[in-house]
Amino acid sequence: MRNLLNFLIKYNYWFLFVLLEVTSFALLFRFNHYQGSTFFTSSNVVAGDIYKLRGSVTSYFYLKSANEDLLDRNMLLEQQISNLRKELQERGVDSLEVDSLKDTPLKGINFIKANVIDNSLTKVDNYVTLDKGSDDGIRRDMGVVDRNGVVGIVYMTSRKYSLVISLLHSKSNISCKLLRSGYFGPLKWEAGDSRYAFLNDLPRHAKFSLGDTLVTSGYSEIFPSGIMVGTVDHIGNSKDGLSYQLKIRLATDFGKLSSVRVIPMSFKKEHMLLKQIENKQQ
Amino acid sequence: MIIVFLRRIEWFIALALLQVLVLNNVHIAGYATPFLYIYLIVKMSSGVSRNELVLWGFFLGLIIDVFSNTPGMNAAATTFIAFIRPYLLRLFSPRDISDEIVPAIKIIGVSPFIKYVVTCVLFHHASLLLIDSFSFFEFSTLLIKIGSSTLLTVVCVMCIEGFKK
Repeated sequence: MRNLLNFLIKYNYWFLFVLLEVTSFALLFRFNHYQGSTFFTSSNVVAGDIYKLRGSVTSYFYLKSANEDLLDRNMLLEQQISNLRKELQERGVDSLEVDSLKDTPLKGINFIKANVIDNSLTKVDNYVTLDKGSDDGIRRDMGVVDRNGVVGIVYMTSRKYSLVISLLHSKSNISCKLLRSGYFGPLKWEAGDSRYAFLNDLPRHAKFSLGDTLVTSGYSEIFPSGIMVGTVDHIGNSKDGLSYQLKIRLATDFGKLSSVRVIPMSFKKEHMLLKQIENKQQ
Repeated sequence: MIIVFLRRIEWFIALALLQVLVLNNVHIAGYATPFLYIYLIVKMSSGVSRNELVLWGFFLGLIIDVFSNTPGMNAAATTFIAFIRPYLLRLFSPRDISDEIVPAIKIIGVSPFIKYVVTCVLFHHASLLLIDSFSFFEFSTLLIKIGSSTLLTVVCVMCIEGFKK
């Protein structure tokens, strides 16, 4: 007995070691289910404040390229508009129809603007931290977009910060469709390159070509339909050979995310309401 | 005693901030990320009790985890390295030193010190990156990541050692 006690006292660090390892792994495996707690993530107050401080310094480095990006886009859009207007005038389309063309998928939605204060690219599960939280109206499962395209879905919120599951996450799954042909499938990211993701489950008879635009389908109720996601970069076969798997070049540059917009729930509520009315009418 | 403790806390905060604000954003060629924060564990004096060492490791890892949204990952790896460190130190330090030492080039010699650092870093990175890649297991990528990150961290540790002289 005495020997046993001596043995236990001598090797007590083993117990501490095992205890701490078990704690670590419990944290690791519970994180995915433990929705309530933002304590152990970068959306807690201290980590958030430190990252915000860093963001306020580093965001200036991206201003120039963000500006150039916007200018380029502006030029492109203006050119397109003037071309289209010319075309329409030549064809003599009446003005009412032209006005109805101004309806974009995002019209009438009051975005919540937020800044990215932390972001990662190289891990298997990447998260984005935003400097706005539940006090600003951000809730779980809201969609997040930036000026180029889809970014991700809100996962947790604290009062002042929120954690977003980036599109670059092993569990991210966004329903998308090809703008031209309308075929849809889930968009998955398969680790590795942050510029590409994969669109799965496209039927064999679907027609599409390289460079086709991919947009959100609007079936998931998190994103309205028609938000830019990316373009088709490569056409391949799925692992079982029964369907196509498209390699998609993402429109969003995750390497320089800075300001993003969160799509508020009111859009979702409206969507739900419409669905209910639809159901009743049937 | 208190002063030694405060010095460690200073290093703790400095290394944690350096890691989460700067080094976590370094991905050379998409693979190599230095995890310099384990410098604290590597440089702990041999007189520190095993229990204390393991606790330091756990909390250091946990702080890094909180900032990088990987609860438990760094904590598990750093606890592990803190646990095996006394064995590694005994393996690489010369036999005739028996009293308390802080691992350094001057004390245990250049080649044993480098071997000691490389082994510590390798064990830490291997366990950390192995846990990280649970869901997407690709052996060659994992090996490249472990190899390149280990190299980078060891270079960083040697730089700090060089400057401290």
